[in-house]
Amino acid sequence: LDRSATTEAADMGFFRPRRGTAAGPGGSEPGDPELIRRMRLADESALEALYARYGGLVYTLALRIVGDPELAREVLQDTFLSSWEGRETYDSARGRVPWWLMGIARNRAIDLLRSRPHQARLREQEHRAREAAALPPPNTEEAPLVRRAIIDALGGLSTLQREVIELAYYTGLTQAEIARELGQPLGTVKSRTREAMDRLRQALRPLMGPTAEAGQHRD
Amino acid sequence: VTEAHERIVEDLAAYVLGSLETEEHLRVEAHVATCPTCAGLVAEYRGVVGIMPVGLEPVASPESAWKVIRAAVRKRRPGRSGYAVLPKWLRIARWPAVAALVAFLAVWNVTLQHELTRRAPGPAPGPEVEALSRRPGRIVILQGTGKPGASARIFVAVDGGGHLAVSGLDSLPRGRTYQLWFARSQPPPVAAAAFAVDVSGRAWAKVSVPGSLDDVRAIFVTDEPSGSAAPSGRPLLEAQSWR
Repeated sequence: LDRSATTEAADMGFFRPRRGTAAGPGGSEPGDPELIRRMRLADESALEALYARYGGLVYTLALRIVGDPELAREVLQDTFLSSWEGRETYDSARGRVPWWLMGIARNRAIDLLRSRPHQARLREQEHRAREAAALPPPNTEEAPLVRRAIIDALGGLSTLQREVIELAYYTGLTQAEIARELGQPLGTVKSRTREAMDRLRQALRPLMGPTAEAGQHRD
Repeated sequence: VTEAHERIVEDLAAYVLGSLETEEHLRVEAHVATCPTCAGLVAEYRGVVGIMPVGLEPVASPESAWKVIRAAVRKRRPGRSGYAVLPKWLRIARWPAVAALVAFLAVWNVTLQHELTRRAPGPAPGPEVEALSRRPGRIVILQGTGKPGASARIFVAVDGGGHLAVSGLDSLPRGRTYQLWFARSQPPPVAAAAFAVDVSGRAWAKVSVPGSLDDVRAIFVTDEPSGSAAPSGRPLLEAQSWR
């Protein structure tokens, strides 16, 4: 991870939070905390800015989980509506704004996936996740630096580590369900999950800095 | 580090991924709330989980999605007041407007009160009462013990003269009058003033104070037949204390 990746990550607000009350790192765009502050004042333009910044990523995640463009669009809309209605509940001590958004999107997508009409899709997703884990690493030559860093970190995991992480994250399966799905002992699944998360944590730590935005915009 | 703590640490990653059964999730959550070490690790895991989507192949979001979100936000805003839809210049001007309105209401209220006082029928304190009130003396407050809402104030000058101001009493029929009594340690009570009230229930009257207030045990007002020499009705107003 080089300095360019670090700078790019900071610009995205994922690793180091967007700072400042009026402008972001570039000096022209408001930081995420500022957008949340304005949303709390019922400023719709702040929500629009947040959507412009993270809408694509939320949709990408939703599509990865539900596997259907219409359902993914529903998740995208629900996520930003929830962030608007729950803007008072965002707690910077629990993580950065994009993490919060991704959490909302993931929970909504998995809820949708687990609802009765989508049970068949869930099974399809489990199958797809296993296939994805078995695929060769994606070509990252054209990818932005931050994405490349994450792909490299995921690529550094063993097949089983990557499988358990993806099944947990993208399909919402519990550790016991993953154990059944993979035919592995529960203890092994738990150990691989922890090992995978520790390796990712260590690989991405140089970019992350303080893990919370505490003290920056507790208003 | 206990064995129980180690078991929790083993589950922290799955906890952050939302991959624990409900019972396990609650157990870990309770532990994290009291363990700074585990809370720190959870924060780092949350960072990992939060950025994982960045590793996905980006897909452009549907163009119309924002319009749907915006429309829903506007529709779901029950707290959206008329103020929120005002033009910006009106929002800026709201405080001067409120201040002007308050000032206008204050002036209007004072003017109205003055006019009501000026037009009020019934007796008004004469010049001798006003002169009396400027002399040194004591004030006795009477409360409407027999007539809730009524009250009176007696000003007693040091030389024995005094005047009474009453409010809240009903107008009396012909042949009846209100009387102010001073009951001393030696009976009978002394009538100190007789008065009628105006349509507003108010009255001003001169009071003949019998000697020193230090010798007075009770001060009260009753409704009496005109010219009554002794109190016969129940007290409508009574002084609570004047020492």
